[in-house]
Amino acid sequence: MSITPHPRPRLKAPMGLLVDLNKPLDFKFEGMTYQGFEGDTIASALIGCDRWLMSRSFKYHRPRAPLTMAGQDANSLVQLGGEPNVLADRQILVSGMQVEGQNYNGTLDNDKDAILGLFSRFMPVGFYYRTFFRPLGIWDKWEKFLRRKAGLGKLDLNFKPEYYDKKYVFHDVLVVGSGPAGLAAALKAANAGAQVLLVEEQAILGGSLSYNRFDVEGLKADSLRAELVAKVEASENIEVLLNAVCNAWFTDNYLPVIQGKRMYKVRAKECIVASGAYEQHVVFRNNDLPGILMSSALSRLMKLYAVKPGRCAVVLTGNDDGYLTALTMSEQGVDVAAVIDMRAEGVAPEIDSAVKARGIHVKRGYTVYEALATRGNKHICGVDIREITAPGEVSASAEIIDCDLLCMSAGYMPAYQLLCQAGAQLRYDDAAAEFSLSNMPEHLHIAGSVNGIHTLAAVMSDGENAAISALNNLGLSEELSAEIKCMSQPNYPWPIFSHPKGKDFVDYDEDLQAKDIVNATRLGYRDVQLVKRFSTVGMGPSQGRHSALPTARLVASSTSRTVTETGVTTARPPFVPEKLAHLAGRIFDPYRRTAMHYRHLDLGAKMVPAGNWQRPAFYGADGDRDRSIQLESQHVRNKVGLIDVSTLGGIEVRGPDAAEFMNRIYTFAFLKQPVGKTRYAVLTNEHGVVIDDGVACRISDNHFYVTATTSGVDVVYRDMMKWNAQWRLDIDIANVTSAFSAVNLAGPNSRKVLESLDTDIDLSSEAFPYLAYREGTVAGIPARLLRVGFVGELGYEIHVPSRYGEALWDIVMKAGNAFDIKPFGVDTQRLLRLEKGHIIVSQDTDGMSHPGELSLTWAVNRKKPFFVGCRSVDILMAQPQTRKLVGFKLPKASGKPEEGHLVINGDKVCGNVTSCEYSPTVGAIIGMAYTGIDESEPGSRLAIRIDGGQMVNATVVELPFFDAKNQRQEL
Amino acid sequence: MSVMMPDVFKKRSLAYRQLADAEYTERSEGAIAYRMKGDSSAQVARASLLDLSVVSRTGFRGINAEKYLQQAGLTVPAQPNQAYMGSEGELILRLSQKEFWVLDGLTTQDDILDKLSQHALPSYACYSLFCQDSHAWFMLTGHHLADIMAKVCGVDLRDDAFPIGSIAQTSVARVNAIVVSHQVNSTPVFSLLSDAASAEYLWEALLDAMQEFDGAVVGLSTLIDTVD
Repeated sequence: MSITPHPRPRLKAPMGLLVDLNKPLDFKFEGMTYQGFEGDTIASALIGCDRWLMSRSFKYHRPRAPLTMAGQDANSLVQLGGEPNVLADRQILVSGMQVEGQNYNGTLDNDKDAILGLFSRFMPVGFYYRTFFRPLGIWDKWEKFLRRKAGLGKLDLNFKPEYYDKKYVFHDVLVVGSGPAGLAAALKAANAGAQVLLVEEQAILGGSLSYNRFDVEGLKADSLRAELVAKVEASENIEVLLNAVCNAWFTDNYLPVIQGKRMYKVRAKECIVASGAYEQHVVFRNNDLPGILMSSALSRLMKLYAVKPGRCAVVLTGNDDGYLTALTMSEQGVDVAAVIDMRAEGVAPEIDSAVKARGIHVKRGYTVYEALATRGNKHICGVDIREITAPGEVSASAEIIDCDLLCMSAGYMPAYQLLCQAGAQLRYDDAAAEFSLSNMPEHLHIAGSVNGIHTLAAVMSDGENAAISALNNLGLSEELSAEIKCMSQPNYPWPIFSHPKGKDFVDYDEDLQAKDIVNATRLGYRDVQLVKRFSTVGMGPSQGRHSALPTARLVASSTSRTVTETGVTTARPPFVPEKLAHLAGRIFDPYRRTAMHYRHLDLGAKMVPAGNWQRPAFYGADGDRDRSIQLESQHVRNKVGLIDVSTLGGIEVRGPDAAEFMNRIYTFAFLKQPVGKTRYAVLTNEHGVVIDDGVACRISDNHFYVTATTSGVDVVYRDMMKWNAQWRLDIDIANVTSAFSAVNLAGPNSRKVLESLDTDIDLSSEAFPYLAYREGTVAGIPARLLRVGFVGELGYEIHVPSRYGEALWDIVMKAGNAFDIKPFGVDTQRLLRLEKGHIIVSQDTDGMSHPGELSLTWAVNRKKPFFVGCRSVDILMAQPQTRKLVGFKLPKASGKPEEGHLVINGDKVCGNVTSCEYSPTVGAIIGMAYTGIDESEPGSRLAIRIDGGQMVNATVVELPFFDAKNQRQEL
Repeated sequence: MSVMMPDVFKKRSLAYRQLADAEYTERSEGAIAYRMKGDSSAQVARASLLDLSVVSRTGFRGINAEKYLQQAGLTVPAQPNQAYMGSEGELILRLSQKEFWVLDGLTTQDDILDKLSQHALPSYACYSLFCQDSHAWFMLTGHHLADIMAKVCGVDLRDDAFPIGSIAQTSVARVNAIVVSHQVNSTPVFSLLSDAASAEYLWEALLDAMQEFDGAVVGLSTLIDTVD
């Protein structure tokens, strides 16, 4: 039975910008019911109920609680129903939510694996790499155990995909971030007439104006925010995306912005990044205890969510911002035990006075050396403070201050990720102890604290300056930028106080302590990129937002280089974790259907993909393939069958040079091809390799209609266009594949079926012989008819405009009823043509097949001066042949080879099977295979290794397997 | 107006099965959906999709194509990727310097093709194209044209970037398509001409994109009545 923890009273307005305290929401965390309010995040609601511990750390399973309250750290990762790794400080609370902790053994509060922390000295940096690699194969045994110990949530494998999509948007100016710089920039640009997209990660506009305190009185931010937001809302030129993250920068300001379940693909002429800066932590022992968080996180808790975060606080700071947070806490009823200022001096006098006026004790030149924990490290209960004697060093004498809250601010790190993705360079200023960015590409601008500007007025001016630069580029303004001066230096130069007992975390995500970074350099990993890969610093969900700066400082120090020389690791997209669903969006996977598609479905076809087409493989049940194709093939051989061949490519070549063009493209001779005749057309590439084939019909002197393979037609068409761009022949080339539907009516009774239809074409064998081409009408449908013999029977390919395709199928099937017509599929067609020894390009050929190997030299005219690939064909044919495509036969009872099975000669692989089926017509298993030239003569034996390693011995035979004199197709 | 099904005709749109609730009328020896269940002018104004694939069209390519069309009395756009709408609602698309498509008006019946048939095709350098069969013809209407297309197409099709009379030859939901911005009477619409074999795929993709705008399929008469 769960009990409801009593929520703490929330603070009064103006605290709580995001929450509606009149709308309570119940939810569950770890099985216990909690209460939050509409607008809360999971984390703010839990902290509002004094529940801090939300997760366990990755390696040592230490208790963790939110650090930033802005989704910038991994401490708040929770399991939300079936979804792991949800950021509790970003996820908006919904009534009835079921939230769990993750990465624990036992319960979140009593994690048995927390004992690992006691053995941390035995798990130094690079522990995994150095321990589990030998003996060989040991990692396989350890992996399961280690992954379970270091897991992050549970995947719901029964997850049903949800609706995600993408949308392109186009704007003159994209402004990333709606803090004071972003708002100023957006307004300036919009007022000059630019169309602006303003992207804000939080639920409201304002950025730091919505939570930060900029003045002693604490009034400036609210009024300025209200004023700027009102102007933005009144502007017709500004579109706002809230709760949206700009997740990458790509060339030419192509920026993906994720909001909810949609990815916007933004094209912006100008981009202004006002992404702000990440507040940095101080490195000291136990700096990860629940109750220790960034100064800005405390401000967010109070100002955005009206949460009173604790009873007694200590502020650890290296700048004035900590003092301002102390003032806010004090005003909101939190007892501030002390402000510990790492600086010896430098605080603004008016701030100092205000803090002292509230009775807050200030210690300058001091730091927290260790945070003291309650039992099980579940919360902070005090701090051990010491005087700083040198950078990173403290005095031996300690002072203990009791507290249940510690906020820290060591300075700021620019949110540099997007800018560095764009090629910007980071440079460290030793005097300011701060990174700055330079070398931005054109049309990308930077403003505000990401630009190293920190005072409010200067930030606003910097935003306007960025807008002016953008407007100048857009031609909307000729205004000159104003000079910006900002004297504020909020970064404390060395906020790292290593402790002999460790647990002084540099990287919370990966449980990396200061000594881990230093030790990595001592092991020889001096480059920060190598330190990252060896120690995994910066590789966790927060992607170095807080670890990059202290790591750079530590590596620089231990390798005696400057921080600028050390740098930070490469920033790559995405900026925040994104779901595969966002990348996938709607599934645009185009498919093509012939006009007869539904007729095949009605007839029970087993459809298979052919390129992006769908084709019937055969008509019958899924598991009845072999029987179906044998019946269908027998039907074609004995009666008549109909196959949909609409997917065949079709290309029109028209113009005075059409014959010359055909002659140059294909291997055969076409200059003298008679009108009304078809001719086999083989296409080789410049390497002499056969890449496609088809049938060329000469419709008139200047007009050819040539077919191509289903999957090859696009390449053929592209090659034709490419070649004629060089040849400049006077022709027009049109890809008419989709414009024509086609069927092949094949079998001894095919002429009778066609004759029973109303047609104006003389179908007699004399008037319409084998390999002839005729045009006319069939049942009133305009049609092109080809006498072809691909399946080795009397047959007619009937090509009609595609809008008639379905009607043609219906008409032919209806007329064929009297002759017991049956449809046949592409698998059956493959068997029929195999019986005739006809190759299928790309099934029986590969990337090296030349006409000689395929016995296609008869289709190569060597008297003409040129065709594409002729030189290569000559060279290939002049060399000793090494392999050949041959026909083979096996008894019916033999094991049946499959396509791809190897032909073995002794200990050598000398070829592979390309086609193989049982032929009821031949009464044997027949196939084609590449084999060595020595084994290619009829009568030779081929050893083929089939499934299970079994060897079968096939006999090489002459092709074709059936009707060698072609009497059936020439009827 | 008689009610019929598309498969009583030999000429059929390759997308006709997607319009299960349609009432059809004869058009160019085929059947066109003239009304859908629940059609309304509000739907047309909001977001609607029509299949006009059976409506007549033709095309010509070659250095003499422009002259041929002009001799037939058609006005030809001056630049590629521009469309001209004639007095009968016919559209003349200029897809390149020497490629033109002619689309019949929605309220006429093959008038433009009849007009062209009275002029013999030049024997040289003017090749007829197969756009009646190679391409399906869909039409999008409503206030959300650019927003709908932004979900399936990477080209800026907002009014100011893609005014009436513009043509974009681009990719829509990963299928090649010609997008034409024009008007039916005074209502802005987009015509999409795309691979006929992919017609059903594109139809589904467009309906999916229209969903958030309460888009629906409408019949031709609903469009014409609305804009009249």
